[in-house]
Parts: sequence; structure tokens; C-alpha cells
Amino acid sequence: MLPETEPFWQAAKRHELVFQQCRACGQRMHFPRLMCHQCLSKDVEWIPSAGRGTVYSYTIVHQAAHESFASEVPYVYAIIDLDEGIRMISNVVGVEPAAVTIDMPVKVMFDDVTPAISIPRFTPA
Amino acid sequence: MSLRGHSAIIGYGETEFVKYRDSGTRSNYTEQCDAARLAIQDAGISKDAIDGLIAIPPLDQKVSWSMDLAEYLQLRLTFLDNLYFGGASGAAGMLYAAAAIDAGLCSTVLLVGGSTMDPKRMFEFGSEVATPFERDFDTIYGPMTDNSAYALIKQRYKHEFNATDEQIAQVVVNARHHAAKFPNALLKKPITAEEVVDSRMICDPLRLFEIVMPCTGASALILTSADRAKDVKRPPVYLLGGGQSIDRGMWNPAYGRDQSLTTSPVKQATSKAFDMAGLTINDMDFAQLYDCYTITVVIALEDIGRCEKGQGAEYIEKTDLTYTGSFPVNTDGGQLGRGQPYGACHFMPIVEAVRQLMGRAGDLQVKDARFGLASGNGGSMANECTIILGNETP
Ligand SMILES: [Zn+2]
Repeated sequence: MLPETEPFWQAAKRHELVFQQCRACGQRMHFPRLMCHQCLSKDVEWIPSAGRGTVYSYTIVHQAAHESFASEVPYVYAIIDLDEGIRMISNVVGVEPAAVTIDMPVKVMFDDVTPAISIPRFTPA
Repeated sequence: MSLRGHSAIIGYGETEFVKYRDSGTRSNYTEQCDAARLAIQDAGISKDAIDGLIAIPPLDQKVSWSMDLAEYLQLRLTFLDNLYFGGASGAAGMLYAAAAIDAGLCSTVLLVGGSTMDPKRMFEFGSEVATPFERDFDTIYGPMTDNSAYALIKQRYKHEFNATDEQIAQVVVNARHHAAKFPNALLKKPITAEEVVDSRMICDPLRLFEIVMPCTGASALILTSADRAKDVKRPPVYLLGGGQSIDRGMWNPAYGRDQSLTTSPVKQATSKAFDMAGLTINDMDFAQLYDCYTITVVIALEDIGRCEKGQGAEYIEKTDLTYTGSFPVNTDGGQLGRGQPYGACHFMPIVEAVRQLMGRAGDLQVKDARFGLASGNGGSMANECTIILGNETP
């Protein structure tokens, strides 16, 4: 795992959603980087997210690109806008795919796929 | 500084597009070399006149592809480039070639792309080129290659502008209408909007017939200085303007800057191209728009300035975009009508623009065409390039 991304996954294992903020200019970022993409400062910190947001856009995947997802179809692959101003890709779960809408309020849940890895996904809030 | 009218396209070549299963003994090498041979013959020049090469590496080749191709064809070059940033590589390649000619680095450039890619290996290629960040923050959520990225764009577009699937499906109806008359097209059967809307759902709201079919094929073009172009057999097609704009997450629209999914860098690229050409959208006799998906064309029509933002779907529904219509679009059938050979598709809009401007479009000829626009689109509408071509300098 890259040093950029390790804190994100360590936090996810604790069922916490975190993202980065630049101490120099305040820019918030996701995916994680070792450097602020706005002002290029290397002084970036991890801050917690409340894990609440809305669906910016989504698609219901009917045909998986890879066999590891074949048993999951149809599933919702979505862009989530977190209340803190962070945009991330995730899945919307715990709801019929057909019931998902743009602007739907969602909250994070953690899917413990292995003892070492928990993946943040979203459910209706 | 401007490239306006300094260089011209003097020939093109396209191999026969076939389904992957019908590729037989055709290889990435034979495809690209065949297209190059056809383009050189078309221009009526000798191979030795080529001193510049821009090649698009097939996805399953190493990135030193242009060197390998130069060796295969035994070219003697003073300029070489290898463009590997998706569908904008063709139009951008024309600009880089024009700039190289203008700067005196070379005089005549061969541009070529194409492949024999097995569509089933698409995901594998995607994974090979994925960044560690894509793997960690995208791939784990089950994207379906580019299909899911463009589905996100279409979904958001429908939401913001109340566009319907039936309206957007007209892009395919138009493509197939042209493909039916175009000799080198794989999807020749005319189709109705209802048939598109009833086709199998792949990535909701994108259905099967809204997505290009990968296939085997190659395209090539020859660009030379405007002075040299006067001495060749074909009427020259001048490069009048061009612009490139890269401004978004390349492969996943979520990981760009904080920005709309429904306005693309096509807008900035095209505005730059028109500025250089000294022309406007109203001077264009047609547009050949990169059409990997239906929604790409809808957004591009808005961003090139043909209609207002949000009016694209209605515009397509109400406007005759055929070769005899008020604004001809994708008069060869585009990728949605012809199939998508990776690499060749980067050049297809340019080749068709040249075919029209040389008056060689046969049954699909746009009457009195003088100026036209061709676009390239890479990533998820992230990397855009527009060029303006004309059979005269304005
Ligand atoms: Zn900063």
C-alpha cells in the first residue's frame, strides 16, 4: 500500500471515514496525496468526516467488468458528495438499486470484507 | 503564434473494419502498416518523403510502439512521438505534427493508429494502466471500464436538464442512418429510437446500442507543410485551427477538480480552435464528433456552441443531423455506426472530415463543404481536442 493511502485504510478498519486537508491553504482532497494539489504544500493533515452526504450521480451496473463482481449485479456504483465538500466514488447498498436517486441523502457504513480490510460504502440516511 | 493554414492533410488510409473474431492473421503491426501504406499511396508521395511519425500504441503493446513501427517500416525520421492519452491523441497529434512542421523539425508526418484488440481483454488493459489511486478508490467499487464513467455523466445530464433516453437515442439513429450507406461500417442496420431504448441495459442509464462496439481496424493520415501540399495530387485540406484542454479526473469523473459532469473541456478546446481559425460555429459545414457513447455527442454539440447548455438532447431530437440536413454530424456513421478500433477511432473524425472536404464522400457527400470541425475525446470527457479543417484558407 502506498504511504499516501495507508491512513485512509487504517481509519476505515476502525470504521472511521477520513480525508485530507491542507494546513497551508485549507484545500480538502480525496483521493489522498502527499502534497496539496492546490498550493503544493506538503503540510497536509487527516481529518474525520461525519460520513453523511448525497448522491451526485450513480449508475446501476448490470454487467460486471470483472468476474469478482459478477455475483453482485445489479449494483449501484455512485459519486457521493460528502457534506464536508469531498467527492468520492463508492457504492450505495442496503436499498433496491431502482430506488436510488440523485440528491438522495446517504450515510457511510463499513463493509468488513476481510479481517484486515473494511470498505466504506453508503446506505440511505 | 498560430498554426492557421501552415500545414495540410494530403492523404488518408483506413483498413477494413472487422469484428475481432474475423481478424484472422491481422496483427497490430499489419493493421497500422496497412493504413500507413494506404495513406502514403493516397497522397501519392514516396515513403521516403515521410520524416515524422506519430503513432498510437495499441493497448496490448509496449509504450515504445512508435519506435517499433518506425523499425518495421524502416522509416528515416527527424521527429517521432508516441501518444497514449486516449481518444484525444489523434486530434492532438495533428496539432503536435503541425507545430513540429512549423518549427522546422520535420516536413511530412505520418499519423497512425489502430489495433486488433480482443474486446474481452478491455478490463485487463484498464487494470494494467490503472494508477494505484484508481485501484484503491475506484476499482474496488466495481466500475465497468469507461461504460460506468459515461453512465454517471448521462445520469447527471438527464437529471439536470430533464433529457429523455428517447431524445438521446437519436444520436444512434443518426449514426446508423449514415453507416447504412458507408462502405466501411460494421453496424449498417438502420435503427429506431425505440429499438435503442429497448436494447439491453449495460450500465443504467446506458444501453447496449449507446455504447461503441470494439473491433479491428486502423486509420492513418499524412500532414505536410502548406507549401509542399501544393505539389501533390490531392486537393489539400488545411489545418486552420486547434485547441486542447485537459481539465478533470482522467478516467473517473469523481476524481477531477470540483466541477460539473455536464460541461466538458470540449468548450475551451473548441473556443481556442475557432480563435486560431478565425471562424465560428456558424462557418462549419459539418462536425465529426468523437462518439464513444451517445451522451458524448450530446454534450459536445453544446460545448462546440451549436446549441445552449442543456438543450443538446432537444436539439438532436429536432434537428436534421444527416449529411443532407441543416448541420451534418458524423457523416461516416461515427464509431456508433462503424465500430471502434482502438487507436483508429482517434483519427476517424479527422479522416471523415478530410473525406468530405476533398469531395470524396460519395453517397454521403455534404454539398459544397468548405469548413468542418473534428474532435477527439479522452478519458471520461477529460482530455479534449478540437481541430478545424478547410479546403481553403479563409
Ligand atoms: Zn494547500
